[in-house]
Amino acid sequence: MLQVRGLTMRYPNGKLALVDFDLSIEAGEVVVVLGGNGSGKTTLLRCISRTLCPTAGEIWLNDTNLAALSGERLRQARLPLAMIWQHASLVRRRSVLSNVASGALGRYGGLWTALGCLPAVECDAAYDYLNAVGLAALAGQRAGTLSGGQAQRVAIARALAQRPQVLLADEPVASLDPEAADDIMRLVRHLATHERLAVLCVLHQVELAYGYADRVVGIRDGRIAFDRSCAELPRDAVRQLYLGEAA
Amino acid sequence: MRFEAAGPQLVERSWTEALGLALRLVLVLALVAIVVQAAIVVRARPQDLITGAYGMADIVRRAMPPDFSKIDMVWWPALETIDLGIFGTLGGVIMALPLAILAATNVTPSRYLYYAARGVIGFARAVPDLVWALLFVTAVGLGPFPGALALSVHSIGMLGRLFAETIEHMDMAPIDALTLTGARRVQVFTHGIIPSILPSLLGIALYRLDENIRSSLVLGFVGAGGIGFELLSAMSLFQYQLVSLLLIVTFVIVIAAERLSALLRARLG
Repeated sequence: MLQVRGLTMRYPNGKLALVDFDLSIEAGEVVVVLGGNGSGKTTLLRCISRTLCPTAGEIWLNDTNLAALSGERLRQARLPLAMIWQHASLVRRRSVLSNVASGALGRYGGLWTALGCLPAVECDAAYDYLNAVGLAALAGQRAGTLSGGQAQRVAIARALAQRPQVLLADEPVASLDPEAADDIMRLVRHLATHERLAVLCVLHQVELAYGYADRVVGIRDGRIAFDRSCAELPRDAVRQLYLGEAA
Repeated sequence: MRFEAAGPQLVERSWTEALGLALRLVLVLALVAIVVQAAIVVRARPQDLITGAYGMADIVRRAMPPDFSKIDMVWWPALETIDLGIFGTLGGVIMALPLAILAATNVTPSRYLYYAARGVIGFARAVPDLVWALLFVTAVGLGPFPGALALSVHSIGMLGRLFAETIEHMDMAPIDALTLTGARRVQVFTHGIIPSILPSLLGIALYRLDENIRSSLVLGFVGAGGIGFELLSAMSLFQYQLVSLLLIVTFVIVIAAERLSALLRARLG
């Protein structure tokens, strides 16, 4: 479903953040990316989502190479790819329901959505997505009044409204307490299994990676240190990943 | 040994303090020089205030009591004054908002449009509303319409700059998130940017309405309608009792607009 081939990213200041990176993720699979600070994890997600333009390499989403596109064609091709961040990034003054429904805007190009309206059918669907993340009761509430965990659930519901095939998550539980973090990862795992989403998730919590991932990819200095299933991944390898960074 | 170490430090500190004191003295002298030159340039003559006191007292005497019998002829100019402010603000908001988007570094679609929008905003702001009114009176004739146009154009400058600054200081994370969902630029604007900054924009617009109502009083002096025009006519005809009535109505309008604007802005906050 998502294939990354030979991805290389060099920033304008000369820093090489990713080097000849290969990765593939199938539908229903949860792949967690681990690595120290500055190892290239976020750069990888930003290149895949094409908020950064990679220096070299290919990003295949189904049969489309996102790395070769730009402008309107990129916007269209990127629709099956949703992203969530460490902070939920909701429009705080809009209702929870409006925030979720706005995830569907990319599929609509008419005058009404340009004037700030949301299609009724998407509002109904948004309610279902909120129900799926357990927050239907808060549909009418302002997004700014939610707790961190609730806001992250709403961000996931917004991502679902996009009807994605791939979900990219950049440290989605970094600002949450352990219980809320566990809730979010359980939800992500559930969506991957039941909605057949391919999930690529950057984490710092090794235990969560072992608990919810199918595969773990370790990054060090922009290169793959390991790419193994959780069952095959020894704890020592993960420890070495971070120790290597310290050294 | 300890005294030897402390000695040079003390000397160094006293030199720094002396230098700071000298610098402050120079600044104070410069300030005094600026004030004195300003008084010379404006030919300030405090004695004229004393000799002119009789003339002022005479005008006040002739203006009392206000001629309330003519209140019926004041309503319409008063309404004109308020409507000048409303039209000017509304016109300004409608034109300033798109310009502000082009003039905000974080959302502008191109650097050329950014500089063009900043140029228009800067020009509209640099020319005073009174000068715009004179230009529009020449172009479209006497009456409230040139006044409303003048206020609109000047408001573009004031509102455009403040709107652009508000957009530049907004949290971009929700906007980036919405962009990544595949939303088009205009959808990101209406679903993300506008809801995020709407209270700030309304607050600025209400403040501008208050300013415009006050400005519209002055615009009448150059033939742009409203109470200002009536005030000028009454003064030219030495109808000082009507002048005092007009000043009372002006005072009521200004205070009411100011209070209403403050009240609405407080509710938005």
